[in-house]
Amino acid sequence: MDRDLLRQSLNCHGSSLLSLLRSEQQDNPHFRSLLGSAAEPTRGPPPQQPLQGRKEKRVDNIEIQKFISKKADLLFALSWKSDAPATSEINEDSEDHYAVMPPLEQFMEIPSMDRRELFFRDIERGDIVIGRISSIREFGFFMVLICLGSGIMRDIAHLEITALCPLRDVPSHSNHGDPLSYYQTGDIIRAGIKDIDRYHEKLAVSLYSSSLPPHLSGIKLGVISSEELPLYYRRSVELNSNSLESYENIMQSSLGFVNPGVVEFLLEKLGIDESNPPSLMRGLQSKNFSEDDFASALRKKQSASWALKCILISGFHQYLL
Amino acid sequence: CEGLGHYCTLGGAAAQGSEGRPAPEARVHFRVARFIVEAGVNLGMRSIPIATACIIYRKFFCETNLDAYDPYLIAMSSIYLAGKVKEQRLRTRDIINVSNRYFNPSGEPLELDSRFWELRDSIVQCELLILRSMPFQVFQHSHKYLLHYLVSLRNWLNRHSWQRTPVAVAVWALLRDSYHRGLCLGFQAQHIAVAVLYLALQVYGVEVPAEVEAEKPWWQVFSDDLTKPITDNIVSDLIQIYTIDTEIPLRPWPSLPKEKPGMVSCLGTLPPRRHDGWSPEDQLGGLVVLLEKGW
Repeated sequence: MDRDLLRQSLNCHGSSLLSLLRSEQQDNPHFRSLLGSAAEPTRGPPPQQPLQGRKEKRVDNIEIQKFISKKADLLFALSWKSDAPATSEINEDSEDHYAVMPPLEQFMEIPSMDRRELFFRDIERGDIVIGRISSIREFGFFMVLICLGSGIMRDIAHLEITALCPLRDVPSHSNHGDPLSYYQTGDIIRAGIKDIDRYHEKLAVSLYSSSLPPHLSGIKLGVISSEELPLYYRRSVELNSNSLESYENIMQSSLGFVNPGVVEFLLEKLGIDESNPPSLMRGLQSKNFSEDDFASALRKKQSASWALKCILISGFHQYLL
Repeated sequence: CEGLGHYCTLGGAAAQGSEGRPAPEARVHFRVARFIVEAGVNLGMRSIPIATACIIYRKFFCETNLDAYDPYLIAMSSIYLAGKVKEQRLRTRDIINVSNRYFNPSGEPLELDSRFWELRDSIVQCELLILRSMPFQVFQHSHKYLLHYLVSLRNWLNRHSWQRTPVAVAVWALLRDSYHRGLCLGFQAQHIAVAVLYLALQVYGVEVPAEVEAEKPWWQVFSDDLTKPITDNIVSDLIQIYTIDTEIPLRPWPSLPKEKPGMVSCLGTLPPRRHDGWSPEDQLGGLVVLLEKGW
């Protein structure tokens, strides 16, 4: 079982879940060993009461806790990890595959301060960012970030986050002369995050492909046109100018939403495997299914049996003896 | 069946018999739903066609008495119909083989005899029966909505948090399992999608970042008219499905209704009541009607 996941759930639900788990999963050897460590305080500053539920009102939650405790061996099984690519993806610019939406936090109207804090918590080296050059110095240029170009799609345009692209991270466009002379303030730049100082909220970027992870190294860095801005950002801008528009309306009026292949596309994007469909019913676990019961296997067996009978009936077999 | 907010009596509170246990009819429908899901997996059906088959089956018995037709035969026809409508055409031979195997796990493959052909005919005839009984209703499944919500949520969550928490797999499991009961006949597709997601996040103790500071909670964003009580109702019904699962033995099969004349015994199936002998033109017309009805 996944210890960290179990601990995360226990932290949320508190000691009542722990006692439910103890009684429901008492016959489960995996759980017994985990229970010892999961019940211990986690690393870091020890909380006042280690298993105090995060929210006060846990009583109405008891149904959910019972559910968790009964299904814990399935819910926390390591085999349940999704197959989604762990590496960050390119933003899908084609609007045909699915409904690309403005960022969720924009609809939730989360304050800028929190968006900023979470951006600096979640941004990673190798992420692609897009911004406008705000000033050019001898040592490099500064850009104000507009949006992300890979990984997490966030609403950051109004946060006035600046990043520095040092001179050494600017490829030169001619054999002589200043590499920076190629650029002007106002240029839209696509760059890779090279360094992050989360505490001071400072970012350094690079225009070299080597700053990107291997699967993104084909993406062109440097000056881009406004047509190349990601779709999610353009949708975000539209939403800003019409803030009453609902998530549902935007989604349903999007071309990608009615794409016949949208479900298959998103299943792959999210790493959900239909050929090995998940369930929380014990009887529907994949180990209860056998290839011998599949339609194709049955058909084959049946065809062979019919063919043999045809031969026997026709008397042909006499010629074989 | 009434519209949204009321269950078909087979799936919801009204299905409770005495002592709060599922009434006998509800138990049959639960078992048949399980049959559809299992058969669907063995037929390689995707989630939405399987879900559609479950719904077709349920809606049929909203209109019709359980005694009138063999539920498993209706289920097989529902599978056949769902395959056509949801672009995953299945062959009746495969449906028959898989179903036979379900009831006779250690048996030999079926002979290509008159009983086989009768069964095949029954499936096709039931298909038309089902088509003609469908009230006009454009039907939406939750799957598409749920997948989009997952993408939106994933972008807002920390990616390491997302990677270590199997939210996507869990919600897909929950949604698939929900078709054991007729939840989607009592609630809006979007509401079910949100509720399933809500439950998964609760299960794993996932906090949506800055939830407290937000003007609008994430679940309200996804559906304007969703309320916390509706979400709680759906979650409660979802969880109940798993309780019912432990209470209803799925094998042995429900004893079939008293012997009716002409009953086909190989799968314990009944031929449909009406033996009009519908023509191919009728059959085609029936399919057109179904597609026009928004299936």
